[in-house]
Amino acid sequence: MDKEVRWKKATEGNNLVRNRSVLVVDRSEETREVLTTALQRRGWRTWAASRAQRGLELAREHQPDLIVLDLEIEESSPEALCEPFAQETARRKTPLVVLGGVGQGNPALKGAEIVSKPYHYGPLIRRIEELLAASERAWARSA
Amino acid sequence: MPSLFVIRGNDQGTRFELQGPSISLGRDVSNVVQLHDTEVSRQHAEIRLQDGVFQLTDLNSSNGTFVNGKRVQRSGLASGDQVQIGGTLMLFTGPNEDAGEDLSGKIDISLPQLSGDESRIIRSVTHEEGSRILQGDIEGPQTSWLARARSNLQVMYRTALAVSHTLDIDQLLQRIMELVFEWVEADRGCVMLVEPESKQLTPKVRRTRRGVRAEERISISKTILDYVMEKNEGVLTSDARQDDRWNPAASIVRMGIREAICVPMQGRYGVVGVIYIDTSTSAQDIVRKGMSNKFTEDHLKLLIAIAHQAALAVEDTRYYSAMVQAERLAAIGQTVASLSHHIKNILQGIRGGSYLIEMGLTDHDESVVQKGWAIVEKNQNKISQLVLDMLTFSKEREPELTASDLNQVAADVVELMQSRAKELGVELHYRPGEPMPLLVFDPEGIHRAVLNVVTNAIDAAENSPGQPGQPGGRVEVATFYLPETARLQVLVSDNGPGIPADHLDKLFSPFVSFKGSRGTGLGLPVSQKIISEHGGRILVESTPGRGSRFTLDIPAVQPGGTSPTQV
Repeated sequence: MDKEVRWKKATEGNNLVRNRSVLVVDRSEETREVLTTALQRRGWRTWAASRAQRGLELAREHQPDLIVLDLEIEESSPEALCEPFAQETARRKTPLVVLGGVGQGNPALKGAEIVSKPYHYGPLIRRIEELLAASERAWARSA
Repeated sequence: MPSLFVIRGNDQGTRFELQGPSISLGRDVSNVVQLHDTEVSRQHAEIRLQDGVFQLTDLNSSNGTFVNGKRVQRSGLASGDQVQIGGTLMLFTGPNEDAGEDLSGKIDISLPQLSGDESRIIRSVTHEEGSRILQGDIEGPQTSWLARARSNLQVMYRTALAVSHTLDIDQLLQRIMELVFEWVEADRGCVMLVEPESKQLTPKVRRTRRGVRAEERISISKTILDYVMEKNEGVLTSDARQDDRWNPAASIVRMGIREAICVPMQGRYGVVGVIYIDTSTSAQDIVRKGMSNKFTEDHLKLLIAIAHQAALAVEDTRYYSAMVQAERLAAIGQTVASLSHHIKNILQGIRGGSYLIEMGLTDHDESVVQKGWAIVEKNQNKISQLVLDMLTFSKEREPELTASDLNQVAADVVELMQSRAKELGVELHYRPGEPMPLLVFDPEGIHRAVLNVVTNAIDAAENSPGQPGQPGGRVEVATFYLPETARLQVLVSDNGPGIPADHLDKLFSPFVSFKGSRGTGLGLPVSQKIISEHGGRILVESTPGRGSRFTLDIPAVQPGGTSPTQV
């Protein structure tokens, strides 16, 4: 709890932080609600979709800084589901966080951050923050 | 304890112990043998014990009663008889077949020098030679006895096959021993099986002819057993010494002669055991009738053939039980996987809700606390639904029958499901049937059965494009009371994608869900269980691309009155 409060104060003082954005693609309405609520409280923009197709449309339209993708949203294979998202994030060099119990060695998920289920939201949100921070640093270096 | 063992049908694997002077069979819960089979009448048949014989009587059932494939009005039952009523096939086992008897004290494997047994092998026949008795190419004139025995081996084979599916090897061997005694005049007999683990021959079944002292121990020479097992040959033995036969002072005249046949039970993969029979001729009979062998080579060959069939049946039974065991393990694995998956999702929801609550408390933001609380509550409800379904599915329960209003039950379900339907963008309509009198059923059970079907329909209709002029998902619930056929029905139709043909046969299998992470795989099995407890059925019609219609159909029972007879 303290950690989160401290973190919040730290980010409030950081003028370099621009308006970050995250897209959540998850079948579960509850997960979407929890993630978007938590992320919005950190001052980030969020979009959410329950299906892969809609998620891809939002990703292309809004170009989020990070995508959270639940692998159980469709009956298709994790590879088939993941591939277009992986392409999208790789192209824009943004992080992809995959939720679901798949092997780390799955080549289709190369480069994605895998969080197996059931997960805790606290660590997940922290990990999302770390990934965003890292990608921002990388972005700042290249700029 | 006499019993009926269900070999085929919804109650497969159930053993009904037949206790008391009269046992009723039927679909109604009042029956001792209650069968969950819609082709069985409510009061179908009864079994009475009369003068030591179990008499099966058909009670004017709609579909009749069959014993060993023949329709009967009344029939005495013997062990091994197959009783069929409706789609249910049962195996009858009579009394006095105590398979659990401890045989270790009654059958010995003895070393000849210790027991004083002087049995010698006087004839041996290989398994191959013996089995030819069934094939009809044996040389020499055939006795009528042998011809009859051969034709009856076919009967035995069929029986053995039927019994082999009962998973009860002792019962199977008991039956085989009975058949042996029908065809060979033996005094005593036993079956020994090689235990799969210890490789030791262990006595399984023992039988004595009527009038023979049953308490006498059967002593089998180890030398002879070893010979039979190792050479895979059946042997005919006698304890009379060749030169004794003409010597009136010899032991045989004092003690009589014991002849025995011991044959290997050669199966597909090896020798599974031995069958042993013996007979004694008393000294007086030898003096009166002269010397003659009771057991002949034909007996030996016949027993080899029987033993082969018995071995096949034993192998089948073992294979079948191994298969059932494997299936059970697979089913348990599937159950655990399916339940963990579902519980994992609920856990995920609870964690999300708690996280929001914690966050709201930290930030003193009540709206976030409320959001989190709603999620926790929803998941708590999911767990209680899951537990209810699991209990309904696993428990043998009696429907709690009271006079109830089906329209009220259906209306409750529709009201309960409106919010979920709205959430998924599905229109949920209700069309109550009129008039709807109070009829007797278990309102809670039927509520659950309808609820599960409606839940599925809403899930199926989500994302449905609908029809022109009527876009979106649509589910309709309708009730019907059909007085002329005395049926009560709930129809649930959706305009979802329909059920693919290859899913239809698994639709009611427990823990098989076609709804991805949303299904427990318990909904339809639970509905079906409740409906069949009411003596009804669920009909499924589905057109791919157009939608599905489930009809829950139960008999309409008037309060106070007797239930109308129906098939």
